[in-house]
Amino acid sequence: MSNLLNIGASGLNAAQVALTTVGNNISNVNTAGYSRQTVVQTESIAQSAGKYTIGSGVDIQSVQRAYSDFLTTALWTANSGMQGATTTNNLATTLNSSLSASGNLQGALDSFYGGFSTVANTPGVASSRQSLLGSASQMVTVFNTLGQQLAAQQSQVNAQVKTTVDSINTVASNLAAINTKIHEAGTNVPNDLLDQRDNLVQSLSGYIGVSAYTQSDGTISVYASTGQALVSGNKSFALQTANNQYDASRTEVLDSTGNVVSGKISGGTLGSLLNYRTNVLDGVQNQLGQAAVALSTSVNTQQAKGLDLNGNQGGAMFSVPTPAVLASNLNKGTASASASITDASQLTGSDYVLSYDGSKWNLATTAGQNVPMTANADGTYSAAGMTLSLSGTAQAGDTFQIQPTRQASTGLKLAMTDPNGIAAAAALNAKAATANTGTGSISAVTVTDPTNASLLSGATVSFPSGSTYQVTNSAGTVLASGSYAPGQSISANGWSVTPSGTPAAGDKFSIGANSNGLNDTSNALALAGLADTKVLNGGTQSVIDAYGTLTTTIGTVGSQASSNVTTQTSLYNQAMSAQQSVSGVNLDEEAASMVKYQQAYQASAQVISAAQTIFSSLISAIRTG
Amino acid sequence: MRLSTSWMYQQSLNTMINQQTALAATQNEVSTGNRINVASDDPAGAGQVVSLNHVIAANTQYSSTISSATTRLNTEASTLTSVNSVLDTARTLALQAVNGTLSDSDRKSIASQLSQIHDQLLQLSNTTDSNGNALFAGTSTTKTPFQVGANGSVTYGGNDAQQRSAVGSGLQVATSDPGSGLFMNIPNGNGSFQASAGGANTGTLVVGSNSVTDLAALNSTKAASGGGYTITFGAGGAWTATDANGNAVKDSSGNPVGGTYSDGGSISFNGMTISMSGTPATGDTVSVGTGGQQDIFSTLNTMISALQSGASDTQLTNVMSRQIESIDQSQSAISSVQVSIGGRLDTLQQQQGAYQDLNVTYQSALSDVKGADAYTAISNLSLQSTALQASQQVFAQVKSMSLFNYLK
Repeated sequence: MSNLLNIGASGLNAAQVALTTVGNNISNVNTAGYSRQTVVQTESIAQSAGKYTIGSGVDIQSVQRAYSDFLTTALWTANSGMQGATTTNNLATTLNSSLSASGNLQGALDSFYGGFSTVANTPGVASSRQSLLGSASQMVTVFNTLGQQLAAQQSQVNAQVKTTVDSINTVASNLAAINTKIHEAGTNVPNDLLDQRDNLVQSLSGYIGVSAYTQSDGTISVYASTGQALVSGNKSFALQTANNQYDASRTEVLDSTGNVVSGKISGGTLGSLLNYRTNVLDGVQNQLGQAAVALSTSVNTQQAKGLDLNGNQGGAMFSVPTPAVLASNLNKGTASASASITDASQLTGSDYVLSYDGSKWNLATTAGQNVPMTANADGTYSAAGMTLSLSGTAQAGDTFQIQPTRQASTGLKLAMTDPNGIAAAAALNAKAATANTGTGSISAVTVTDPTNASLLSGATVSFPSGSTYQVTNSAGTVLASGSYAPGQSISANGWSVTPSGTPAAGDKFSIGANSNGLNDTSNALALAGLADTKVLNGGTQSVIDAYGTLTTTIGTVGSQASSNVTTQTSLYNQAMSAQQSVSGVNLDEEAASMVKYQQAYQASAQVISAAQTIFSSLISAIRTG
Repeated sequence: MRLSTSWMYQQSLNTMINQQTALAATQNEVSTGNRINVASDDPAGAGQVVSLNHVIAANTQYSSTISSATTRLNTEASTLTSVNSVLDTARTLALQAVNGTLSDSDRKSIASQLSQIHDQLLQLSNTTDSNGNALFAGTSTTKTPFQVGANGSVTYGGNDAQQRSAVGSGLQVATSDPGSGLFMNIPNGNGSFQASAGGANTGTLVVGSNSVTDLAALNSTKAASGGGYTITFGAGGAWTATDANGNAVKDSSGNPVGGTYSDGGSISFNGMTISMSGTPATGDTVSVGTGGQQDIFSTLNTMISALQSGASDTQLTNVMSRQIESIDQSQSAISSVQVSIGGRLDTLQQQQGAYQDLNVTYQSALSDVKGADAYTAISNLSLQSTALQASQQVFAQVKSMSLFNYLK
């Protein structure tokens, strides 16, 4: 009798536990990271009653969570990928919209170069010159705005690196705390702790690529993509941030022992941030700076080849910052370094590291590729379009980072304020002596070296005989002489001429400053022609070409990032739906289970009621009997 | 496969969000008319847009350069036409002085008309363009390139260079011509040499037109002797020629040149033929020079002073004939510049036409790259909105499907 009662009670109990579990499942249907739980029931051990055995009810073995190690790990990996792709996509989208919102550089460049044509079309008209300076300043503004947008993104990325590292450290320490609780729980680990544990690894995987290993006691060890342990048992190992050894505005990630690991981190938000900073942002900033330097250098050089409206050799129209040379904060020596740009067309988009090995200086790109340096007679070095000057005493291992064009776009300035300073006229002209008898004439004097101090000081080209020439200055000193053949060029004092026709013996040409030809616009035409002059990348690209390339580069980054985010999201969704197919709560299923356990409960209650009926009929039989 | 209820909702939500995003992108495409709004929409296309816009900007710049060059050249051409007609008047007046006997008052009136023409010419030569820059100053900044000096002579303050405009990549067109070539350095005589009667001649010899009959001979003897000769007449029109050093001029066979001149005949040697009329007195000379130059203002001044000097008809005729030659040379210099301007204007017009055609081509290329295909975009728009509506309906239906609805 009591046997039946016990059996009924065990059934009631089992149904109640199962119903509670169903209830828990239903109430957690929308809880992130919740794993569906099921009750494992077994038959109670039967009691032998001699010839036969009867069952003795049901036992609750355990409440299990539906869980697949494989699917959950796949979800973590997919989450790293998706968070990383999303981060890159957000940055690339910002980059693309700041490119299109910062004003049209191509339009600004074209109206700047077109301004020189207008000056050439309307010589001596002050308003043309003034409007050229206006478009120059507008173009500088576009360069500056674009540069500032990029610089702003740099600092945004650096700030994000810091906050992401903070988040990683918080999550890792929480995970260590959970591990401690799991360890303390021993063999009977509550499911919610395990869910929390997995959930923390999930959020960690969004920040940084991780690999996780579950230990036999239910605790989990998490390693970052660098191989460094983030969480091991009840300990977490914090990542740190520090300023870059060269550039204090750049945040680097250090492992718990203080080694810089920025370059090794991959996956998740942090991996994407660091990758984007190095492979996209630095390059884009340098490329834009390169265009600014090439523009400034080419215009300034051509300016110097002409005369301004005041009759002076043309001055610089723009200024750009010199390459940034940043000493490492680990340097032990007293050496200091500086750099200047000598040939803008040889500049590249990379940054360089100059290092001293104890006996000599070596130059390499930041990517580690060696760059040959030429030692100059004055102790400076020439490399990659720059001249590097070093002073002080270096110690082995001292390094400098050189950023040739990083700041050029933000630092580009209009140096000219006086519209008369635009050197529209050719610097020099040639005048044939009236007594010349030959047919020789010199139409233009080309400036080959605008830095020559005697450029404008005047000279006479004479032909002592039809086949020899001589160049003398005003003091009668012979500057150059030699044999002459028609079509040959003659040069001295930084200029060169190519006479046409046949000069007769005794013919003379005086070369002098073009001060009676200031309405000449041949230099303005040459300046306008810079629009299509290949002044970048070894003479293969014009400034506008470079901007076109930059646009394509930025666009490609954006479209790749957006297609990557689509791919990674669908991978994540796949992983999620696979994991959810095991661990997720299905309300229909729970409804059916609820009905099932409700009925089991009612039936068990009937069993108890039957036992009670049997017992009371026995009692009443005895009383009446 | 089991489905988790919350993930099921999430999935259909994700679908709707994706469809909304695509719809918004298409909507943007339709409303802006642009397929490329940021570079990432089509990186290669965005690069192409930059270079196409650059080419279009360059073409526009070239077109506006062509307009302003055309204006400059037209101004110059019409000024030169005026100069030419003024010179025509001067030439007619000079011919009047040559032909027929004039009274003193006739001479004075011609002189005063010529002096009027001198001033008119001076004003024309100092013509400025709409910006106040002198047309004929070369590339000099001087405002009045032609200045009258104290002795009445005109000096040129400009230079010999030409203003240029770039009307194409590597194509420059001169938009001005220096005044030195138009007004100042006018070659004497027929352009190769000038023959003029000696000032002390006493006969009635008048030197007429002269021409080059053998340019090679002229040049070779000019190189050998410097090109300056003096023809001296003896009795009965016999003539000999000497060079600048007083040596007899020899022909190609080495014999001294010479002959007898008769009224209305001509003298030829060394490739030159000089027509004359009248009768020379013994000892009268004709000097032959090459390479001389005179400015048009001096030409007018010389005519005016000859008219005012009270010289004999023969002397006046001789002086006027030489100056008429100078006017002819001046007009020929002007007409060759006019021809050159015509050629340049032609080039400009052709370039302008080419740029208009190219502009159409580039603009259509640009809209091909950048512009949205309206038909595709709008049909995409309706397709995507239909898809979104379908997803929303499915969601609404799925929402009501739950076993709990039936457990009452």
